[in-house]
Amino acid sequence: MIDNLSILLSHGLLLLAFWLLTRRDDLDSEPPPPPDAEPQGFAVRRPRASKEQPGDA
Amino acid sequence: MRDLFFVGYLGLLMLMAFKRPFLFTLVYAYIDIVAPQRLSYFLLNSIPLSLILFALAVLGFLISDDKRDVRVSPRWALLIVLLAYCGYSTTVALEPVAAQEKWSWVWKALVFAAFLPLLLKTRLRIEALALTLVLCASALIVTGGIKTALGGGGYGSLVLLIDDNSGLYEGSIISCVAIAIIPLIVWLAQHGTIFKPDWKVKAYAAALTFAALLIPVGTQARTGLVCIAVLALLAIRQTKRRFLYLTGAALVGLAAIPFLPSAFSDRMETIKDYKADESAATRVAVWKWTWEFVQEHPFGGGFDAYRINKIRYDLPVVDENGFDTGAVDRKEIVDQGRAYHSSYFEMLGEQGFPGLIIWLLIHVGGVWRMEMLARMYKKRNRPDEGWVAPLATALQNAQIIYLVGSLFVGIAFQPFVYMLIAMQLGLDTYLARRRNEAAWTPIRKQRMRAAQT
Repeated sequence: MIDNLSILLSHGLLLLAFWLLTRRDDLDSEPPPPPDAEPQGFAVRRPRASKEQPGDA
Repeated sequence: MRDLFFVGYLGLLMLMAFKRPFLFTLVYAYIDIVAPQRLSYFLLNSIPLSLILFALAVLGFLISDDKRDVRVSPRWALLIVLLAYCGYSTTVALEPVAAQEKWSWVWKALVFAAFLPLLLKTRLRIEALALTLVLCASALIVTGGIKTALGGGGYGSLVLLIDDNSGLYEGSIISCVAIAIIPLIVWLAQHGTIFKPDWKVKAYAAALTFAALLIPVGTQARTGLVCIAVLALLAIRQTKRRFLYLTGAALVGLAAIPFLPSAFSDRMETIKDYKADESAATRVAVWKWTWEFVQEHPFGGGFDAYRINKIRYDLPVVDENGFDTGAVDRKEIVDQGRAYHSSYFEMLGEQGFPGLIIWLLIHVGGVWRMEMLARMYKKRNRPDEGWVAPLATALQNAQIIYLVGSLFVGIAFQPFVYMLIAMQLGLDTYLARRRNEAAWTPIRKQRMRAAQT
């Protein structure tokens, strides 16, 4: 009885999750992220990044 | 009846997977964790389900997935090295027949763990895997939780769906795994997009967490209690109001004691008196044996090398009050072929020092990488990436709980844990690609690119 309830509950939710997944376009590919507003990570400390100002072209 | 249900159910899942081939991978994970073929009496028993599903998953990947997004990481390479190394050690194993038997499932777990990250290339896929792992484990956790709450259970006697001691169905293993996935349950309830975090999802997550906490009580596996303690400690790190949390946790802990079955309290008491406990004494003796064994066999003895051990150890004689009667009068116990009861010694004894080092790099490396990611994304603080740091921390906590739990249980190759590792690897490479795509470029370069197109 408890076993069957547990099986039904977990399997029902998994089935529902699968069904919801088949309706989602972002499962297989997603749009590119919005670009960073400012340099992140190593780019912050990289001297080249700071040299590339509009004036030095 | 149950047979027909499972056949129909698998048919439905596979029907949906033909629409979205990535789902074949999740169906494979489901079969690996829940093992429906063992829950049924005929039909599914006779079909090589895992093999068929794995073939379909690979086929789906080869035909329909965009391979440009595929990336690998150093830890992924280590998984391949471990696979090759274990394969080699099996050919020179001291117990060839037993080693072959263990290898027959270990390689599948490792190959699947290496395959999985290649597919995890969208946020939704990572979340779908997390949800599948949690829901599959919940099939065992819900029944175990309810039976324990109704007063059932006992060491080795809490039956979870089937009376079987393999895979997740073993008491100590499910105790460790049930606690390890609690951080993932919490993450899904806060950041899930498949089941949006409304009151229903939160209520179910809370109930499932409670059931997971009851599993160590029901199975009376001491490892589970240690895992709960680790989880409580890890939660302190994330709590803002630490004093309130500590007070609350202490109160809940104290309030729970009267409700715990006395058999559970008695068994947990033995953690303190481990010297007079046969199960604990054997472990220490096996660990000593393993250490001496690898001095002569630094490359290990292959899978199940413990079968050759013969250990002799003393157990202090205790009087009727449970007190040690003194070192003079000791009961000598001789044992043969005792298992390692620790993943670390399992790796050391079976795969030697190189195997243990690779294994540690994969697992401890996971804790380290997840820490790096969590810190990086907290600092980036972008609104569209709010889910990343909590997931990295959840995966890190799951890994730490596993690493502590596996001190006392030989689960070095538990497939479920390798799926968690695969999720870490997938998350890591996915984020690296997304960071690259979002990387800041100077306005001049952006203009040049725009002019070219």
